[in-house]
Amino acid sequence: MSTDLKTGVEIARPSVEVVGDLCEFKDSRIEGIIQQSIARNEKRAHFYDRVATVTVWTLSIIGLGILAFIIFVILYRGIATALTPGFIFGKPQALKEGGGIWPMIVSSFYLALLTIAIVLPLGVGAAVYLTEFSREGRITRLVRFGADSLSTVPSVVFGIFGMVLFVIYFGLGYSLLAGAFTLALLNMPTVMRTTEEAIKAVPHSYREACLSLGASRWETAKKIVLPSAMPGITTGVVLTVGRIVGESAAVLYTVGLFVRKVPVSPLQPAAPMAANIWHMYTEGALVSDWMRVANGEAAFLLLVVLVLNLGARLIARIYQKRLGMVS
Amino acid sequence: MHENGYKFELEEMDLYYGDFKVLEDVNLEIKKCCITSIIGPSGCGKSSALRCLNRMNDLVDGARIEGSVVLDGEDIYDRNYSVVGLRKRVGMVFQKPNPFPKTIYDNVAFGPRLYGIRDRETLDGIVEESLKSAALFEEVKDKLRTSALALSGGQQQRLCIARVLAVQPEVILLDEPCSALDPIATQRIEDLLSDLKTRYTIVIVTHNMQQAARLSDYTAFFMIEEQGDPGKIVEYGDTNTIFTKPTDERTERYITGRFG
Repeated sequence: MSTDLKTGVEIARPSVEVVGDLCEFKDSRIEGIIQQSIARNEKRAHFYDRVATVTVWTLSIIGLGILAFIIFVILYRGIATALTPGFIFGKPQALKEGGGIWPMIVSSFYLALLTIAIVLPLGVGAAVYLTEFSREGRITRLVRFGADSLSTVPSVVFGIFGMVLFVIYFGLGYSLLAGAFTLALLNMPTVMRTTEEAIKAVPHSYREACLSLGASRWETAKKIVLPSAMPGITTGVVLTVGRIVGESAAVLYTVGLFVRKVPVSPLQPAAPMAANIWHMYTEGALVSDWMRVANGEAAFLLLVVLVLNLGARLIARIYQKRLGMVS
Repeated sequence: MHENGYKFELEEMDLYYGDFKVLEDVNLEIKKCCITSIIGPSGCGKSSALRCLNRMNDLVDGARIEGSVVLDGEDIYDRNYSVVGLRKRVGMVFQKPNPFPKTIYDNVAFGPRLYGIRDRETLDGIVEESLKSAALFEEVKDKLRTSALALSGGQQQRLCIARVLAVQPEVILLDEPCSALDPIATQRIEDLLSDLKTRYTIVIVTHNMQQAARLSDYTAFFMIEEQGDPGKIVEYGDTNTIFTKPTDERTERYITGRFG
């Protein structure tokens, strides 16, 4: 090729011109091959792109459809009962018809409150230790492995463990407190992990700035890291409340299934909604309208969880706006 | 008391990250109330050297120092030396502006509050004074209660300087403070630093040689021989001398832009 020598000489000239010159000496055969191949590849890529899009769409619509169906059935069967004030604020009945679920609603939220009070310091403390104070090593790996393993244990196992340890061994009996301890154990791994993720998302530059101003590690964690991680932590807590309110297996063995009166002391037995729904379906046949009560309670519980999840998103957004993270 | 006009004296300092030697045999005296710049090609350890001066390297796992780093006659790597106290005296401004996600006011008041100042009026005074010193007050005086993250990059960087000034440090370390800024914002920071040097000892790492030449009184040129070697000081002295009659051939090649 006669161009070789020329380009060789040209390379010594300023780069802009070299590029111009090289363009003129493109090998037309190679160019043709490349262009064909690009065209072929484009067609194939386009085809697979369509196939993948349709597949993914179909799968997600099936998944969502099943979920929507479940929600629809629950609401369809129970919403009319669930939104009656007489049902929400009414007294439960064990022997006659027309019972309400007010003590169950209170039980659920009382239990959630107690559980959060126990699990929050533990989970957030562990997360702060893991991310801000410990050095990556055997201990941190062990803690994370333990937490991840625990979060796969079925909640009924926690329920039986809680019954043996808190109800019987510590003598708490069937009570809100025994349930709160059990649910705290159950939810500790998730609270720890979500907090950890929220803390990890705090830019390292904030910590550097804080430390360089003469703050200690604890001051940095308290004044900069935790406040910046607050949206994530709050979201995690609200979602945890949702899980606690919806939990039945761990509650069956530790808190109780049915009460007539609103629980006052944490040492009293109670009947969170999810456990009471199970109770009504399995043992509630003493009252003829057990089906109405169970369905109404299920619909109400679903609404509560829905509101909590929406609330979690809202809180996160408000926080972020206040911090100026989103405009 | 220690009076020789030097704020920092580094003697035969080596820095390791684990087994990796980052810096070797660094000898440097940093004069009071002057601007000292550290220049050198990427990866030569100039930022690491800067971070030895306020012990920010302590945050790196396995970081270790040999030799001595003396501030006003005291070895800052001494076992009993307070790191927190050191960082109060030696403030730092980072490459990317990093204001906290708080209001402008709370950013500047952060340091003073950390040291226990709670009094409203005192804090107001400190915030105003610091923002004035950082040449930012006029631009933000009406929006002190708004988020610092809404400021422009250049304003954020001046806010970071104000935040450092608010704790009344003696030394200000700046790690390529203008690399994320446009030329006008850079100009403002440079003017500001020239004003501040009457009161503070300033050490600035920069990859912009014109900036080092314009701004600093003394210049240290760092370099590594080969990939994997530790960074060393090639030449250190009066900025004028370094930029007009460097004694080392490598310095000359670097400042005339022939490598690096």
